[in-house]
Amino acid sequence: MTEPLRPTTISVAPTAATGPGGSIYDLGYQSYNGARLGRRAAATALYRYAFREAFGVGRGGRAKIAPLILGGLAILPAILAVVVAALAAQAGAGDALEGRVPVRYETYHGLTVTLLMLFCAAQAPELFGRDQRYGVLPLYFSRALTRTDYAIAKVAGLMSALLVVDLLPQLILFVGRVLVAPDPITGLHQEAPAVPRFVLQCLLTAGLLGGIAGLIAAWTPRRAYATAMIIGASIIPPIVVALVASLNGGDTARIIILLSPGDILDGANAWLFGSRVDNPILASLDIPGPLFIATALAGAVATVALTVRRYRRIVL
Amino acid sequence: MSVFRALLWITVRVLLGRRRLLLMLGLAAVPVLLGVLVQLRGGRPDVSRVLGILVVQTVMPIVALILGTATLGSEIEDGTAVFLLVKPIPRWVIALSKLVVATIATALIVVPVTLLTGILVGGSGSAAMGTTVAFAVASLAGGAAYAAVFVALSSLTARALVAGLVYVLLWEGALGGLLEGTRFLSIRQATLGLVAGLGGEVKSVTIDGGVAVIVLIAAVILSLTITSWRLVSFELRGGD
Amino acid sequence: MTETALAPTTVTTQTPTIPAVPALAAQHVSRWYGNVVAINDVTFALGPGVTGLLGPNGAGKTTLLHLLAGLLRPSAGEVLVEGETAWQRPAMYRRIGLVPERESVHPYLTGFEFVRLNAQLQGLPDATAAARRAIATVELEDVADRPVGTYSKGMRQRTKLAGALVHDPSVLLLDEPFNGLDPRQRLHMMSLLTTMAEAGTTILFSSHILEEVERLAEAVLVVYAGRLAAAGDFRSIRRLMTDRPHTFLVRSSDDRRLATALLADPTVFGAELGLDLLSVRTSDFAAFTRALPRVARDQGVTLFEVGPTDDSLESVFSYLVRR
Repeated sequence: MTEPLRPTTISVAPTAATGPGGSIYDLGYQSYNGARLGRRAAATALYRYAFREAFGVGRGGRAKIAPLILGGLAILPAILAVVVAALAAQAGAGDALEGRVPVRYETYHGLTVTLLMLFCAAQAPELFGRDQRYGVLPLYFSRALTRTDYAIAKVAGLMSALLVVDLLPQLILFVGRVLVAPDPITGLHQEAPAVPRFVLQCLLTAGLLGGIAGLIAAWTPRRAYATAMIIGASIIPPIVVALVASLNGGDTARIIILLSPGDILDGANAWLFGSRVDNPILASLDIPGPLFIATALAGAVATVALTVRRYRRIVL
Repeated sequence: MSVFRALLWITVRVLLGRRRLLLMLGLAAVPVLLGVLVQLRGGRPDVSRVLGILVVQTVMPIVALILGTATLGSEIEDGTAVFLLVKPIPRWVIALSKLVVATIATALIVVPVTLLTGILVGGSGSAAMGTTVAFAVASLAGGAAYAAVFVALSSLTARALVAGLVYVLLWEGALGGLLEGTRFLSIRQATLGLVAGLGGEVKSVTIDGGVAVIVLIAAVILSLTITSWRLVSFELRGGD
Repeated sequence: MTETALAPTTVTTQTPTIPAVPALAAQHVSRWYGNVVAINDVTFALGPGVTGLLGPNGAGKTTLLHLLAGLLRPSAGEVLVEGETAWQRPAMYRRIGLVPERESVHPYLTGFEFVRLNAQLQGLPDATAAARRAIATVELEDVADRPVGTYSKGMRQRTKLAGALVHDPSVLLLDEPFNGLDPRQRLHMMSLLTTMAEAGTTILFSSHILEEVERLAEAVLVVYAGRLAAAGDFRSIRRLMTDRPHTFLVRSSDDRRLATALLADPTVFGAELGLDLLSVRTSDFAAFTRALPRVARDQGVTLFEVGPTDDSLESVFSYLVRR
């Protein structure tokens, strides 16, 4: 059993304030006199935490299942493509295979965009909803951190996580192709032009999808609703666009396509790589490529701004 | 019987959230609005394509997903499931009540949407009408199978919604195009097969109508079995 | 475990004749999650009457109640309600009523609807009448037609109780039923449970507050760190709890004089002078509290302050467990 607390057991006993009715003992608590890192460090820490949380790091095993499976599936085609290319090169069939493998820089966006949307639907509600459900926002907002910092750090964490899932396979593809080439230097020359293209495409994808998912999740604390709405926002617009376009092919479709994140990103991807869009409707609408890029950028900025607005106005 | 009625009643009350209803209406409105657009602007799109993409691929699975996971999943998440479980009711009866409500609620949304959209888009010509009715009947069966599967999923995992989305979008969507063999484990393919079996017009059918019926019935029975089994060995987590 | 406290752990209260089959029994029950042991080899048997399940937070009270209610599978041993296990036996719930602590009532139902739902799911022939009765029993008539979402915590607690007793169970399990009740509601709940116990219901309620258990329960189960630390008649347990060595802090007009006199008393086996403070160790709580004022008066010493030092429940439990 622990000894009952008596003044003599306390090393700083002389400072104990003892009156007739009670005593206050100095237990050695001190106020913090060190450096204070301030708002910037707080925001950075929150950003880092959000990024980790997007992958379920720091949480239980169950929270890691969805991000790991979705992230793993996004990388899988790249690894397979590199392995196949390496085997083909060994067998001397490298040239025959070239151009026929469906996994290339320009097709990768189409392969992974569904996975990224699912990643958003699964993880954005974790990042934005939990703090609201458990009522801990007041704890954040009573720090050096401002509400704007909080919103931006969370969105940035989500976008960074998406960027990793999106960009990593492209980089694997790039490194693999350089190494498979008979001469790495020539390989580098061959592959280098694709780098800025896929980097820009990945930035647009992460920015637009992350922005939209963050905005929805910030407005919808309940996980189930947020997940459903993010998926709805991802898969319904392209369908509507496709059907409207097939109806009267005209101006209506050209306008609402700019409200459809999936189509915007497809269009941007096609323009960046100078490839043909395999979506016939998108191709038929004949919208200038830079417009897609501008819209994606505008969409990312606008959703972040609206998310910030949400947190500035949220009533605690 | 009054016990079962009480189970149905509480499950319906669980489903009737304001936000969930709005979400459902928003989803259901998409194909109907498109039909209205067709009526206003003219044009004659393919009924089969519209219903295939909008209803079978999108509205039906998503509506079934939201309703299916809500009937049981939300009760487990909110902790209200305990009050059903500490009653002298065989657990399979509880599972059945959840399945019945999820199925009927899905049908109540999906079937009218299919009929309305089909008529608005395809008109009332006999060929188009035949396809529309075939789609309506098939979506009744497909929606029921989806709803049952998602009830079972929510008895297995707290993140049934994400798991269900992965099934619909990845397994049936992306993987379905790559691996032919998955068609027997795909409610979407079974529904389309059933449409064709009922004399409706479908672009690409991978399953025979009779097989489709078997797949859909098997999905419902398997889901009921899994849900009952999970409820029988349900353990209440938490406390200290 | 068995060498602690009172070795035979059969507890009888109220009815003089021990029923052949105890209403509630646990036989070497353990429950673990992975490598965390929540309940460790617990054995007891209870008859009708009110029994308190006492233990500090995190001791395993809720786990034990859930095991009894058949909502958890024992990892080892057996839990019996009137001779049968409730685990995977839904028919048992005709006899059991459970008031869980954390589980919330559907906020959109009215209190009446919730209680009637419970009655219907119990298969009662006249569910509406049964619900009315239960609502009246917990004195909730005034608010019964309001949605539960608008209730205070005490009202919600009573709604859950009404739902649990709507079918007149012979065994009633309550998890922290007094949490969130104001003093008046607490009294009402206590008299309610006493009345039910007098009618022959077996009631087991958990609490981490000694005074609640003291006022209501004739028998007590004390759980500490997943183990049964004590079981039996409340008064004997209470004596065991109080008759351990106690340390009192005394402040008086003349500490030294008082200490000298106290050391002559047989119940005192140590005294120590501190800074303006006297600490006295005694083996008999009750005798000492009677002796102290007498000694002080005889010596002409004025007592300013007397207080026990280690009266927290945790210290009582850890003392009981180590015995």
